[in-house]
Amino acid sequence: MKTYLKLNNDVLNRYNTTGQLELEKDREATRRYFLEYVNVRLRYFIDIEEKLRYLVEEGYYEKEFIELYDLEFIKHLYKKAYDYNFRFPSFMSASKFYDSYAMKSRDGEEILEKYEDRIVIIALYLAQGDAELAERAVEAMMEAYQPATPTALNSGKKARGELVSCFKLSMDDSMNSIAENIGYCLELSRLGGGVGVNLTDLRPLGDPIKEIQNRASGVIPVAKLLENSFSYSNQLGQRNGSGVVYLNIFHADIENFISSKKPNADDKIRLATLSTGIIIPSIFFELMKRDKDIVLFSPYDIYKEYGKRMSEISISEMYHELLDNPRVRKIKRLNARKLYTEVKKAQFESGYPFEIFDDNVNEVHPLKNIGRVQMSNLCTEILQVQQKSIITDQDEPNDYGLDVSCNLGSIDMHEASKVADFGKLVDTAMRLLTNVSQMTYIKNVPSVAKANKLMHSVGLGVMNLHGHLVTQGIMYGSKESIEFIDGFMEALNYYSLKSSMEIAKERGETFYGFEESEYANGNYFDSYINKEEKPFQTVTIRALGNVPIITAAMWKELAKGVKKYGLFNSYRMAVAPTGSISYIRSCTASIAPSTERVEVRDYADSRTIYPMPFLNNDNAHLYVEAYDVNAYDLIDLYAAAQKHVDQGISMTLYVTDAWTTEQLAKIYIYAWMRGIKSVYYVRQRLQTLEECIACQI
Amino acid sequence: MSNIIYEAVNWNKPTSELAQVFWDQQWKQIWFPEEIAVSKDVKQWQSFEHQETYKKVFAGLTLLDTVQTNIGMNQIATYATDLQEKAVFTVFGAFEAIHAKSYSYIFTTLCTNTEIDELFEWVKKNEYLQYKATKIADIYNNIEEGNSESLWKAMFSSVMLESFLFYSGFFYPLYLGGQGILRNSAEVISLILRDESIHGVAVGFFAQNLFKQFSKQKQEELTVWGYDLLLDLYQNEMDYTDDLYAETGLSPDVKAYVRYNANKALMNVGFEAMFPEEEVNPIVMNGIRNEGSTNDFFSQKGSSYAKAKVASITDETFNFKNRI
Repeated sequence: MKTYLKLNNDVLNRYNTTGQLELEKDREATRRYFLEYVNVRLRYFIDIEEKLRYLVEEGYYEKEFIELYDLEFIKHLYKKAYDYNFRFPSFMSASKFYDSYAMKSRDGEEILEKYEDRIVIIALYLAQGDAELAERAVEAMMEAYQPATPTALNSGKKARGELVSCFKLSMDDSMNSIAENIGYCLELSRLGGGVGVNLTDLRPLGDPIKEIQNRASGVIPVAKLLENSFSYSNQLGQRNGSGVVYLNIFHADIENFISSKKPNADDKIRLATLSTGIIIPSIFFELMKRDKDIVLFSPYDIYKEYGKRMSEISISEMYHELLDNPRVRKIKRLNARKLYTEVKKAQFESGYPFEIFDDNVNEVHPLKNIGRVQMSNLCTEILQVQQKSIITDQDEPNDYGLDVSCNLGSIDMHEASKVADFGKLVDTAMRLLTNVSQMTYIKNVPSVAKANKLMHSVGLGVMNLHGHLVTQGIMYGSKESIEFIDGFMEALNYYSLKSSMEIAKERGETFYGFEESEYANGNYFDSYINKEEKPFQTVTIRALGNVPIITAAMWKELAKGVKKYGLFNSYRMAVAPTGSISYIRSCTASIAPSTERVEVRDYADSRTIYPMPFLNNDNAHLYVEAYDVNAYDLIDLYAAAQKHVDQGISMTLYVTDAWTTEQLAKIYIYAWMRGIKSVYYVRQRLQTLEECIACQI
Repeated sequence: MSNIIYEAVNWNKPTSELAQVFWDQQWKQIWFPEEIAVSKDVKQWQSFEHQETYKKVFAGLTLLDTVQTNIGMNQIATYATDLQEKAVFTVFGAFEAIHAKSYSYIFTTLCTNTEIDELFEWVKKNEYLQYKATKIADIYNNIEEGNSESLWKAMFSSVMLESFLFYSGFFYPLYLGGQGILRNSAEVISLILRDESIHGVAVGFFAQNLFKQFSKQKQEELTVWGYDLLLDLYQNEMDYTDDLYAETGLSPDVKAYVRYNANKALMNVGFEAMFPEEEVNPIVMNGIRNEGSTNDFFSQKGSSYAKAKVASITDETFNFKNRI
């Protein structure tokens, strides 16, 4: 047995049995890991020149991007990276990096890259010959910026996957479109992507086909086809593709859709590995509040009547019109409270479906004049406009619309509070993300390629909130924590806009449709320019560190600049759940509370024990575990962040099995009322038997 | 026609302390083997060094779960007097059947038909396995109507089986799974373990209640009987472990784990621990966590979702006076 695994496991075992954290065991595990595993496999190179020559000649690195720089500069960059004296802070970070990110020889025997080497290669690759940007990229990544996994993993490699891995597709109500989109799913899955598909516009079970009644099979069989496509295309057996399907809650197939994830669902409708999400317009909550029935519709009727697809209209605005129109069938009436209770039951039993609050998304959508946001992605943080492609018969050309690919990156909030120039950090991150979007060409999915070319959307997010709060003595969910996230995200929003404006100015180009956006007409900035400037508490100011507090005057100035030069990126921010990348950096995930002080992480084929960053025997009380955080406080915190994020934030809710479906419904309703755009998983902690008996006796 | 009067089970009035709690907890954690993608282990399995040991571990467990389904829980349910407790034992029995079947599910995924047939033959021939099965089954089969001593002995044996004898087998998948080897089969085992730990606590709890009713003298007599049985089974378990794990070099680790669980089994029935405390391999210890560990959408199904407690949405659900 490997001694480092035993040592790493001992951290948890000791913590469980004695309540004491023995971090030296984890440090020892890391040390042993290097001695027993890494150092013996690490290929030795005389110098950087030899290293690069070898890796290029052997076909590990692409040659082209390296040739864009002169060797002296590259050497200087390596030195710069190594001068940070980086050390992996935990066994988790070291093993995650060497298991999954470092370049290895083809037979898997030799390790060809250390952490610093990977950072330099990412910087050189993404900077595309811009030496200044490459240098800034090394600084940013050694300090506080982390590109998402596909970018971090694939940059510079000759045999590589794509740099982006998040896609949204929109299916139309025709066999051509269904077949075409299944093809896209196979392609994107092969590239390692997570794909979201909107099924809202498909006609439901029992609808007519060519006017013949009772012919359509509905959305579930299509979902099954997608599920099979994702499992088939599995990156050489590395990992299965992943996908999510979305459906509007007013769609006539909604009941089957909700039950499809339950473990005891009928095999014919059961979705075993595909994720599900529902889109909920505000009218649903209003009807539920008044204890009314809701009426389910068919997108087939809506399209026939109004020439628009179900996902292209606001159901909240159109609901009464649809009810009054005799040519729109009222397919089924359901009590809204009962239906929502079914949703809650399914969430308890399976964690699904995700929920997207349609009007919360679209009311503040900066591109609302260009189109509606109709769905989200696999982690519910991407919320972008789409336009349907018209897929024709094989003898006619298709008319491609806009679908979505998104490339992500995250800022470590703790390190960001310490960098010399926060604005520069954000600008570097935005430029790297923008370059990724420019370098990405998904040729086999034309609607994605087209959108990428026109929209340059990116998603800059954050991580390590809980970790940072612990270092500041702030309790997660407290007033101070909410004030902190509010201030931080406002600054991030401000500087990402500023950066996008600078890029537009330099390139003399904006994203497609900028003129019609809320940025161009200035509406977007109103609430910022007119904001009431309250002084922050001392503890918040200390926690923000070097992150500037943005004043109304600064916003006013920025609004002017944006009006003049435009923005290069149609979307800028999205807060991802950050799995692996937060592990490499020893961060807590996203802006979420940590689920356990000492976490057991099962990831694909390994189990690793991960004591939370900065955790020690004295601050353990600050690491209140997610299940013990008041759910309403958690939602308030996310709502404070959401105000400053043009897209979404992956928000998981944490409950125990003592909760009822009603209590769960209540926190979702609260989230909707607070302007939250999406809810990702519900995670449930099962009480153990000892706890149950303890509360009985 | 006999003149027995049949009584209906009335769950509206608790007749047994905690029967409802055990019932709820068991149903809450219902699972089926098909939910776990064991097929993801196939690739690792093909190059796995100790296939023989691994298969035999699972075959041995199958036998124990079969005995527990067909004889153990059935017999205890038949002779237990409280109707609610009877119901709980019957439910436990159903879960034992799921467990026994889940090993077959793993075999079907990993092994050929010939291999499977050979394994079931091996079970019939392995003296240590047959010894413990016979020993326990005899006690089950000797329960007599109205003889609470014989019922207590059966409950005691049931706890020994579920909290102690299983663990020489559980060790291996937990040990491997914790190192990222055959993770999905280990997930099945951790779900089985989650059930067995309720069974051990519940049956042990009922046994303790029964025990209290015995005279001091009887208690002492049964205590001696209990430790004797445990020691007897323990000797056999040590031999079984040597036999099973010989080629892996893991015997000492397995034995430490078996002793650790023997102590736990004794505590479940209210007896003093017998073996001195010793270090158990932390990887295996971490494998018995009952909370769901953190997974993401690329990973295996987590073990932490359960049945919902339904309550209606009312006007009050929309009242947030305290918050907004």
